[in-house]
Amino acid sequence: MLTFRKILFNLMAWSIVLAVAFPLFWMLVTSVKPGFELFRRPPTILPETWTFEHYWKLLSETNFLIYFRNSIILSSATTLVVVAVATLGAFSLVRFKYRGRESLAFLVLFTYLLPSVVLIIPLYLLLVGLGVSNTIFSLVIAYTTFALPYALWLLRSFMAGIPEDLESAALCDGATRMGAFRDVILPQLLPGIISTALFTFILSWNEYLYALVLVNSDSSRPLTTGVMNMLISSFNIEWSLLMAASVMMSVPLIIVFAFLQSYLTRGFGAGGVKG
Amino acid sequence: MAEVVFSKVQKKFGAFTAVHGLDLSIAEGEFVSLLGPSGCGKTTTLRMLAGLEFPSSGDIQIGDRVVNDLAPGQRDIAMVFQSYALYPHLTVGDNIGYPLKKRGVGKAERLAAVAKTAELLQLTELLKRKPRQLSGGQQQRVALGRALVRDPQVFLLDEPLSNLDAKLRGYMRVELVELHRRLGRTMVYVTHDQLEAMTMSDRIAVMEGGKLQQFAPPAQVYAEPANRFVASFIGTPGMTLIDGDLSQTGGVWTFNAPGLSMPVGPLTDEATAGPACLGVRPEHVSIGTGPVQGVIQVVEKTGHENIVIIGLEGGHRLTGRVPAPQSWSIGESVQLTLEAEHAHIFGAGPHGARLNRPHETAPLKTKHNPDKTKPKLQKAANE
Amino acid sequence: MSRQKTLLERRYAALGLTLIAPTVLIFSAVIVYPLFSAIYLSFYNVFTPTLEGEWVGLSNYAELLQSGKFWNALKNTLIWTIGSLSLQLIFGIGMALVLHQNIWFRSLARSLILFPYFISTVVAVLVWKWLFNDLYGILNHLLMKVGIIDFPMDFLGTMPNAMISVIMVGAWKYFPFVVIAVLARLQSIPDALYEAAKIDGAGPIARFFDITLPQLRDVLVVIVMLRAIWDFKEFDLIFLLTGGGPLNDTQTLPLLVYQEAFALNDMGMASAYAVVMMLIMLVFMIVYIRRTKDDEGS
Ligand SMILES: Nc1ncnc2c1ncn2[C@@H]1O[C@H](COP(=O)(O)OP(=O)(O)O)[C@@H](O)[C@H]1O
Ligand SMILES: [Mg+2]
Repeated sequence: MLTFRKILFNLMAWSIVLAVAFPLFWMLVTSVKPGFELFRRPPTILPETWTFEHYWKLLSETNFLIYFRNSIILSSATTLVVVAVATLGAFSLVRFKYRGRESLAFLVLFTYLLPSVVLIIPLYLLLVGLGVSNTIFSLVIAYTTFALPYALWLLRSFMAGIPEDLESAALCDGATRMGAFRDVILPQLLPGIISTALFTFILSWNEYLYALVLVNSDSSRPLTTGVMNMLISSFNIEWSLLMAASVMMSVPLIIVFAFLQSYLTRGFGAGGVKG
Repeated sequence: MAEVVFSKVQKKFGAFTAVHGLDLSIAEGEFVSLLGPSGCGKTTTLRMLAGLEFPSSGDIQIGDRVVNDLAPGQRDIAMVFQSYALYPHLTVGDNIGYPLKKRGVGKAERLAAVAKTAELLQLTELLKRKPRQLSGGQQQRVALGRALVRDPQVFLLDEPLSNLDAKLRGYMRVELVELHRRLGRTMVYVTHDQLEAMTMSDRIAVMEGGKLQQFAPPAQVYAEPANRFVASFIGTPGMTLIDGDLSQTGGVWTFNAPGLSMPVGPLTDEATAGPACLGVRPEHVSIGTGPVQGVIQVVEKTGHENIVIIGLEGGHRLTGRVPAPQSWSIGESVQLTLEAEHAHIFGAGPHGARLNRPHETAPLKTKHNPDKTKPKLQKAANE
Repeated sequence: MSRQKTLLERRYAALGLTLIAPTVLIFSAVIVYPLFSAIYLSFYNVFTPTLEGEWVGLSNYAELLQSGKFWNALKNTLIWTIGSLSLQLIFGIGMALVLHQNIWFRSLARSLILFPYFISTVVAVLVWKWLFNDLYGILNHLLMKVGIIDFPMDFLGTMPNAMISVIMVGAWKYFPFVVIAVLARLQSIPDALYEAAKIDGAGPIARFFDITLPQLRDVLVVIVMLRAIWDFKEFDLIFLLTGGGPLNDTQTLPLLVYQEAFALNDMGMASAYAVVMMLIMLVFMIVYIRRTKDDEGS
C-alpha cells in the first residue's frame, strides 16, 4: 500500500518534470529530424530518420560560427573584467573601513536592481559619441552595467562568509593585507569566484537588448541577436535549423550543467535569494 | 622578551566604547590573563595589541617601541585565535611554516623548524593532513605550533582552550604553563574562565564593561578583590554579598543588615557610614555555633566537600562550604559564624570599592593557591 | 580625547580605496553618468537619427501622463508581472515541495527543472514559437487531438491568447528560481519541528500550514520582491515573443521605451518613460533594500 502510493507519487512528480522539460526535448528532436518529417501529421515523437544535416548547414552555410566566436569573446572578456574588478571591490567593501563604504554598498545593490532600458539610451549616445558602437568592445562596456553590480553583490556575500580570523592570522604571521588576500582569502574565495564567473558568463551569453541596440553588423553580432536575425530574415522559416542553432547555443550551458552545477546552486544561495 | 604597556588606550566602535582608558603594564616574561565576562572588551584589547584593531586614542608599547603605527607582522607577536584560524587549504606543515615563509626563511630551514615544532607538540604524524581532517584538540595544537615556530617576543592567546572538552582543557592548561616556563616569553592570555586565569597566570587583569577592574596576582585577586564586581566574579561558589549599612561607634565599624549585625575589621579612610556591602567567602562561614541564625535551604554534595545555602532571617542567602562528612538536612535551623577577620566591606553600587585596610586580611586558605614562584631572572640567565 | 587615526589605519583605508577605485570608475562612467543623463534627456526632445534636440522642460512628462500609450503599457506591465509572478510562485513552491521528497533520480529532476531558467531567452522563445506554430506546432496538434479545440489556435496573434501565452512562457522560464530558493530554505527547516508536530497529532496538511509556510515566509517575501522587480523590467521575453502585439496589447513599459527610442526616434520621450518606470520600481527596490539591510543588521 505504502509502496503503491510512493510509486504513484513518483510517477506524478516525474510527469510534471518531463512536462517542464518537454520544450527542450522537442528542441533536440526537431533539430535531428529531416525536413520532410517535420511536417508529418501526426508528428513523430522520436525521429524516424536521424540527421545532422541541419547542424552541418548551420555551421557551413550561415554566420553561426562567427556569432558563436563573437559570443565567446564577448562573454569571456566581460567575465574576466567584471570578476577581476568585483573581487578586489568586494574585498574592499567587506574588509576595509573608509568613508562612503556603506553608501557604495547601497549603490551596488540599487544598480543590481536597475532596469537596462533606463541606461540604454544614454549608453547608446555615449558609445556612439566615443565612436566605438558596433564593436564587441562596446558590448563589453555595456554588459558591465549589469554584470558588475551582480558580481559585486555575489562576491560580497561570499567574501563575508570567510572568517575574518583567517585574514587576521595571516597578518599576525607577517603577511601584508594584499599578501593575506593572495595567500589566504583568494583560495577560500575560489568556489565563490567560479560561481560568480559562471553566472556572469551565462548572463552575458544570454543578453539580448544591448546587443540589439548597440550592434548591427554581422561581424560583431553575438549569438542572441544573430540567431534571432536568422529567424526574421529568412524567407521561409527553417525550424530544424533554428532548433539546431538553439541547441548549439545552449552547449556552454549544458557543459556547465553537466560538470559544475553545484557552483550554480551555490551562487543562488549567495546572491539572489539571501540578498 | 619584552614588556607590554597600554597607556590610556581607548577603543570606540562608532558611539560605543569597547575599551575605556586602559592603563596596563605587563612585565617581561610575565603570563598575564585578561579575565572578564563575555563582551567586556578582552578580545578588542588583544586585537589592538596585535595591530588588528586600532586604538581610538592612547599608546601601546611592546618592548621599547610604540607600536601604534606598526603592522601586525612588524610587531614580533604571535597570536592564537579562539577559532584557531587554521588555513583550510594548507597542510598542517604548511600552516605551521607559513609565518616563517612570510619572513623569508629558506625552505630547508623552514622544514627543520616545522619538524622541531611538530615534535614538541606531537604533531609529526599529522604534518601532511589538512586541518579539517584533525580533531579539535589537534587543531588547537597546530594553532599553537604556528605561533611557537617563530619564537616571537609576545604571545597573544584568545580563549585558546574554550572549544576543547573539559578533560583536554585541563591537560592543555598544564602544557601551556609548562611551555611558558620553558620559553620565558611574555604571554597575554584572554579568557572568561576564572579557573584558567587563576591557575595559569602570574597576574590577572580583571575587566568589565571595557574597564580594568583589578590587576594583581591570582591570590590577591581572590583574597583582596578590588571592588564588588571582582569579588562577585572570582571564586566558585561565589562570595556571598549582602547589602546593608555601615555605622561607626567609637572607632569600631559595624555592618548591619536585616537579621545580621557584625563588627568588621579596620577600614580605609574612604569608608563612610551609610549603605555598604558585606562579602563573605563560603569557606569563611562556619556552621554550628555563632550569633547568626539561619535555615539550611540547599545542600550540594560535590564529593570532597558540601556546598550549603543558608537562608538568613532577613531574607538574605548565604553560601557556606564544609568538608564532606558534615551535612545537614533541608529546613534545619543552624547557628552560624561569619569570620569577621575575613569579611570584606565594599562601598555601595555594583562597582563599590573594597574598604578593608589591605594588610589586615589574613593569608588565604583556599584550594586556589597557584604558588608559582618563578625564578625569572635565573631562568633568563640559563638561556 | 579623539586624535588622528594611526598611520597604519590610514594606510589600510588608502589601500581599501585603491581596491574599490576601478569599481567606482566603471560605475561612474557606465551607470551613474548614464542614469543622470537619462533624467536630463527626459527634458529634451531628441531626434534619434541626428541626435539633435531642444529643451522642452516637463512637456514630455505631461504628454506621457495624457497619452493612452503609457497607461496601456503600465496596465500590461502589471498584468504580466502579477500573472507571471503568481504562476511562478504556485508552480515554484509546489515543485520545491515535490523535489524536497525523496523522488527517484532527484538530482536529474532538479537539473531538468533548473534548465529553463538558465537558457537564453532567445532559445526559449524560438522553442516556444515552434511549439506554438499554427500549422505544425505540437501544442495545437495535442489540443486538437484531445478535443479541446477544433481548429488550430493562434497563440500569439490574438488577444487574450497572446498575453496568456507570454505569461505562461514567463512562468515556465522563471519558476525554477522560486524552486531553488524555496528548496534551499526547506532543507534548512529542522526535522525536529516536524517530529514534534507529528507527536502532537498534526496531519500533513496541518504540518504544511503550521510549520512549512511560516518557515518559508521570509524567503518568500524576498523572492516576491526580487521576482517582481525582475519581471517588471523584463524586455527580451515579451519583445521576442510578441513584439508588444497584437496591436499594443502586450506592450509593457520596457518595450514602450525601446519603441519610442529606436522605432519612433524620440529619445527624450523614451527617457521620460524610462524615468517614470524607474520611479515606479523604486518603491519595490526600497522595500527590498530595506529588508536586506535589516537582515545584515541582525
Ligand atoms: N568590530 C566591532 N564593531 C562594533 N562593536 C564591536 C566590534 N568588535 C567588538 N565590538 C563590541 O565591543 C565589545 C567588546 O567585544 P570583545 O572585545 O569581543 O569582547 P570579549 O571580552 O567577549 O572578547 C562587545 O560589546 C562587542 O559587541
Ligand atoms: Mg572574545
